[in-house]
Amino acid sequence: MATVSVNAPKARRLTLKRRRQLAGVVFALPAIALVIGFIGIPIGQDVYYSFTQWDGQTATWVGVSTWTQAFHNPNLWTALRNNALLLLSVPFALGLPLCIAVLLHQRVAGWRIFRTIYFLPTAISWVVLGLVAERFFAFQGTLNSIIHALGFSHFSTNLLGYQSEALLALGITFIFTMIGTNTMLFLTGLATLDPSLEEAARIDGAGRWRIFRNITLPHLSRFIQLAFVMTVIALFSALFSLIFVMTGGGPGYATTTVEYLIYQTGFNQGDFGTAALYGLILFVITGVVGIVQLRLIGSSE
Amino acid sequence: MTTASTPPKEPEDPRPSMGPVQRPRKLGRWMLFVVMMIVAVIMLYPFWVMIYTSLKSEAQFLAGSGFSWISWSSLTSVIPIGQEVLSSTIVCAASILLILIVGLPAGFAFSKLRFRLSTGIFLVMVSAMMVPLQAILMTEYVNVSRLHLTGGYTAAVLVYAALGTPFSVFLFSTYFRGVPDELIEAGIVDGLGYVGVLWRLVVPIALPAIATVTVLQFIQIWDDLLVGLFFIQNTSDRPITVGLAVLAAGRTTSIPELMAGSIISALPAMLVYVGFQRYLVKGLTMGIDR
Amino acid sequence: MRSFGAVAATLVLAGTFFATGPASASAKTTLTLWQNYGTEQNAVATTNLVKAFEKLNPNISIKIVAQPGTSYFNLLQTSAISGTGPDLAVMWTGVYDLKYANDLVNLKGNVPAADLAKMEGLQWEAPNFNASKGAYVMPLETQFYIGFYNKALFKKAGITSVPTDWSQLLADCKALKAKGIQPIVYGNGGQAISTEFYPWYDMSYLMIGAHSLTSWKGLYDGSIPWTSSANVTQLKDWATLEKDGYTNSDVLTNTANITQFEKGKAAMMVDGTWDTAQYTKTMGTNVAAFVPPYSVTPIKGVVEYPGDGFSVMKNSKYQKDDFKFLDFLTTTKAGNIINAAGLIPDISGLKTSNPVNQEMLNFVTVNHMTPYPMMDNYIQVNVGNAADSELPSVLAGQTTPLAALKNMASAWEQLPASLKSSTKFSG
Repeated sequence: MATVSVNAPKARRLTLKRRRQLAGVVFALPAIALVIGFIGIPIGQDVYYSFTQWDGQTATWVGVSTWTQAFHNPNLWTALRNNALLLLSVPFALGLPLCIAVLLHQRVAGWRIFRTIYFLPTAISWVVLGLVAERFFAFQGTLNSIIHALGFSHFSTNLLGYQSEALLALGITFIFTMIGTNTMLFLTGLATLDPSLEEAARIDGAGRWRIFRNITLPHLSRFIQLAFVMTVIALFSALFSLIFVMTGGGPGYATTTVEYLIYQTGFNQGDFGTAALYGLILFVITGVVGIVQLRLIGSSE
Repeated sequence: MTTASTPPKEPEDPRPSMGPVQRPRKLGRWMLFVVMMIVAVIMLYPFWVMIYTSLKSEAQFLAGSGFSWISWSSLTSVIPIGQEVLSSTIVCAASILLILIVGLPAGFAFSKLRFRLSTGIFLVMVSAMMVPLQAILMTEYVNVSRLHLTGGYTAAVLVYAALGTPFSVFLFSTYFRGVPDELIEAGIVDGLGYVGVLWRLVVPIALPAIATVTVLQFIQIWDDLLVGLFFIQNTSDRPITVGLAVLAAGRTTSIPELMAGSIISALPAMLVYVGFQRYLVKGLTMGIDR
Repeated sequence: MRSFGAVAATLVLAGTFFATGPASASAKTTLTLWQNYGTEQNAVATTNLVKAFEKLNPNISIKIVAQPGTSYFNLLQTSAISGTGPDLAVMWTGVYDLKYANDLVNLKGNVPAADLAKMEGLQWEAPNFNASKGAYVMPLETQFYIGFYNKALFKKAGITSVPTDWSQLLADCKALKAKGIQPIVYGNGGQAISTEFYPWYDMSYLMIGAHSLTSWKGLYDGSIPWTSSANVTQLKDWATLEKDGYTNSDVLTNTANITQFEKGKAAMMVDGTWDTAQYTKTMGTNVAAFVPPYSVTPIKGVVEYPGDGFSVMKNSKYQKDDFKFLDFLTTTKAGNIINAAGLIPDISGLKTSNPVNQEMLNFVTVNHMTPYPMMDNYIQVNVGNAADSELPSVLAGQTTPLAALKNMASAWEQLPASLKSSTKFSG
């Protein structure tokens, strides 16, 4: 696609390509350096420290004993299980906003205001959302008050008080927080959908559901993938603040995820060697999830 | 609005022959509106709790009822909220600036200026998107303190920028893929050089993407707790989230005060969103739709 | 001891604001002091102590900084790494100061020995719990883990003397319940918002009921495993309190326990001396202290322990001035300030003016009960953390005593050998 004439000497074309490549390297270098320096190197150090007993200041080499102990630690497996269970909330964190976006897309009166309202909770810090949620789910909290008022006292809950249920409360709160961003994302996607396509299908006699499945969804696939990426990132990083404020990892270890376990092991117990190992494990998990996502995105390009 | 699928001849005739098309639609729209309202109420619930709770005194809060402005007025004497909001703003602005400075060229490079190994490096960088801070918190801290950066905002800004760069690069490169190659070629031929092309041609059309990155990163950085807690050692440089955490972790916590502080903390993010809203929509659309 | 886990009271922060103002005008040296207090008493005491000290030493000023209670030690540690830490810092005693010993300066030789001798229970701040080796912390006060009860409610149920063993406790609970009174209330009032109630007040007494003081060493070094049958039985008996309905049903999520006790909605509560002043203020003569009777035979031990105080950080450039402040804490004047704040001064010979606090001191001096340390300051931090997570669930009936103890035992297993040995303990 060069605008140089075909008869130009080869040397010139090479220089152009080289110039482009050089520019590419120079442009990308700061970002690469920043990421390597502040993310890559610490990960590498995690590997080193996972073979040591480290209290934050002095590290003594102990070989694989940290590894063997860690994998025998039941709390690690509980944390992994909790992370896996929380991943189950992702379909809901995508599906619910999708429904809402489709409904909003029908352009009811005041839909723009609704759109802004739905996004506003995103602005609230996770710490505060956790506090609000904690009061909502508490035994003497709002949820039970509503249940009582509706006359269903028999079904009153104590979600945060039971090991088997606390994770559910956490998941619900997480889904709530993702509704804003994802709804906005999907709504944007729907807005780019050419209405004449829908019309043509309708005239052809296709039902609403078929239109949705064969026209709307494929068009939204890119947006769904982006939302998926952002939701999973939030699941592994921002959720920490929620846990910190809502449950402190409890009751017991019922809501302790691997990120929280890292914090606990490192800062509460001063065992930074094991924490580094957990950090490594977390990195591998998120790396795998990330690669899977990219495959999904890349495959549809 | 709805596309014209009813015959335009009898638009106001509510006769049964028109009924099945028009009346259910109206009923449907009303029901839709109700559903939207219910969802809106649910989404606004946290705000309601925050406002309602903040308008009590501590005693009234424990008792369950009452109205008072005192928690708002005493807030400034409990934490230096003005200073902390300022700190948060500085940290956010600096981090986002750094992300843009570093991310725009990189996004451009990975999408348009392919060089050897660029695809591979891009993949690695984007997978770094997923790395949560906890995985590297302590090692990061040790490094940063050895470099003596923990005094003021420096360490926090660098960490935030590093954490936000992969995602921003991802967004920017996706967006730039939609920029026509001819535009760039033309710029080169005109003698602009790649820096000029980037700055004069590409960035102006990238404003929606910049807006997207700014809004998303602003919310993320403003609301973050861990980095602000550990990497900003100077207590007078504390951001607002740390200030609120200080309030929340107390046995004499005044919940109304905490809620008042939270509202103040939530305002800037909301303002940023509302201000950038238009660009945000464009940014996401054009970036992904190509 | 993590009963505080808390952060600045209004007063202290207001004090911080003002302290930075006038201080800079006349002072030659400014020291920084970090604290994690949220209790009004400790915070008030600290502020007043600093004020009095500055009056006596006009060329030294101390700037008090409040840190979030839940991350206090993390921040202290990270600040030590980066060299940006304070000169003085609130430090918890026992295993806590031992954990951070590398960052603290030993008081021996820096504070006059005669003054050090005035402080009680100094072995708990010492290396290997051996007082002759000095100490890392200057205690602020003597504390008790103790039970509080409502005299009027006891009278209403016809209880004439406080229970001294399990059977009496259960009988009293039954009598209270029969009169429609909730016997015991649990909650996290006083803790950071997301945490459960702090199990170590109860756990200390459960272990007092099961083991003698000299046997406690066995729990530390593993010669008495955590999963021993004595421990299991004690926890089982404790859990029956909730099972039989003698406690509130939301032990894990209740946040209003302090208010509920003050309002007379419950008859008993297990807590500590940091709340005595609050209770005497709201309940007057209606509140009194009792020793939680978690024992088959009449209970003979009480948790009396200097739980926290101040340390000098190694990074400090003004250590001489720092130690002047610590020395000030051994004076009668300081003792009076501490007493005025509703705390029990740790200086031997000084009395406390709060009658309920005096009751507690009498348990030791008059009733000759054995003083025990706070178990959470005694036992290794890893095990303590495991217990923090698991023990509340035991009371709530959601995990069995054996399962919880197994978790603690496995935390113990993972410790390095140096932390498992108690051979250097002097008692």
